[in-house]
Amino acid sequence: MREGVRAVAVTGLGGLFALAGERAGAKPTVWQIDPQKCVRCGNCANHCVLEQSAVKCVHAFAICGYCQLCTGYFEPEPNDLNTAAENCLCPTSAIRRTYVEDPYYEYTIDERLCIGCAKCVEGCNRFGNGSLFLQVRQDRCLNCNECAISKVCAGDAFKRVPADHPYLLKTMSH
Amino acid sequence: MRRLYSTVNRREFLRQGARDAGLLAVAGVSLAASERSARAAAGKDANPFAYDLERVSKTDPKLIRYEAALKFPSVAPDPRRLALGPNDDLYIAGKRGIVILNLAGARLDEIILSAPARCVAVGVDGAIYAGLRDHIEVFDRKGQRTATWESPGKKAWLTGLAVSDRDVFAADAGNRVVLRYDKAGKLAGRIGEKNKDRNVPGLIVPSPYLDVAYGHDGLLRVNNPGRHCIEVYTPEGDLELSWGKPSASIEGFCGCCNPIAVHLLPDGRYLTCEKGLPRVKIYSAQGQFECVVAGPESFPENAKAGAISDKSDGMLGGLDATVDSRGRVCVLDVVAATVTVMKAKA
Repeated sequence: MREGVRAVAVTGLGGLFALAGERAGAKPTVWQIDPQKCVRCGNCANHCVLEQSAVKCVHAFAICGYCQLCTGYFEPEPNDLNTAAENCLCPTSAIRRTYVEDPYYEYTIDERLCIGCAKCVEGCNRFGNGSLFLQVRQDRCLNCNECAISKVCAGDAFKRVPADHPYLLKTMSH
Repeated sequence: MRRLYSTVNRREFLRQGARDAGLLAVAGVSLAASERSARAAAGKDANPFAYDLERVSKTDPKLIRYEAALKFPSVAPDPRRLALGPNDDLYIAGKRGIVILNLAGARLDEIILSAPARCVAVGVDGAIYAGLRDHIEVFDRKGQRTATWESPGKKAWLTGLAVSDRDVFAADAGNRVVLRYDKAGKLAGRIGEKNKDRNVPGLIVPSPYLDVAYGHDGLLRVNNPGRHCIEVYTPEGDLELSWGKPSASIEGFCGCCNPIAVHLLPDGRYLTCEKGLPRVKIYSAQGQFECVVAGPESFPENAKAGAISDKSDGMLGGLDATVDSRGRVCVLDVVAATVTVMKAKA
């Protein structure tokens, strides 16, 4: 009887150590947005626990068309193609437009101003190549156990990714 | 004398009080519910950062002069472009190759290719020209391969084809040029490349949607999506004229880069297709807006942003259209993989 109890206790302890070891060996993960699933619902701007969302718009220059009439930058029906506020789509003027050569312009995101509302992402995806998309910036994200945005994400785009590959970047072969 | 006040005992007072409180609670709940539904109806609970295309997503019914006569599946998986043959047979370029249908939607034949076909054209002699990503393959009317032409280069991305009596014109979106071949596949010219001396501003092609159409007048029509216009060239590459303007309104070409496809009606008028706001429209031979064949309402799946962006081959939705011998417009919806035959309203 005593031997039996001892054997059970040893087995139990062994199991606990094995579980602890497995936990310790698990790779750390972080939150990220799958850009192919994102539906640009606007919730990233409003539901992060941080005062200014950890979600920012990022720009894949390799797939950008450098369009003169960028639908991620301009309102759907702009009065003119210039940087006047009434023509611009971004509610915080977080996109900078720079002339490259006729008729190409470069668009860069000022992350200090970007609130992750995805308005520009919708415009770019609807008409253009989809080079603007949202990502959780890991230097800002608190990596909450239960991400407040993930709970309301309309596209179920939030997922855990390995911390050593924390970004899901868009690419296109064209 | 009329009594203004009546005396009530404590029990009656409490009973009346409870009834009034209940009524107030019910009224309050109803008010809140009606306010919620009113808010929802007004869209106040919706995305405060919504990209607003409400005004231009609906087409004025007076401008729509065509109606759907028939709709059928494209059969070809991942369809991209369509063309009509001499007998009004429909040739659809897709993932597996070229599918041939009649205009009732019945499958007649299929040409299987080693790679997806991205464009197709059919000569008056029945020869079928299939544009793969970087080269053209030629088939006879029975579907037997007769030639495989040399690739124009590494960056080649063929998205449109047109055939004349003597030449084949291939729109190469990757190199932003229209290539002129003779019927033997020998490269005979390059059209649309930026050239100050010839006053050619150059084709701006942010995404793989470059098209070419050949008119009875011997001139080529090429879409220049980044400049929101149609350009008219001689087969030798001289730019004759261009027309078109950027606008989300119905008379212009919407978004960053439209139109994506151009076709000519027998009387010289233009048939154009747009993406983003999927629209098929007709312009006069001089480039004046005339009417809408089908507006965004007709393509609900296609109208969603990034509808097929997960395919990662540059396609982002869109439409293609052509005209049959009876003047009916055949519209290919590449997202829904359907063909709609539109006839003019009576």
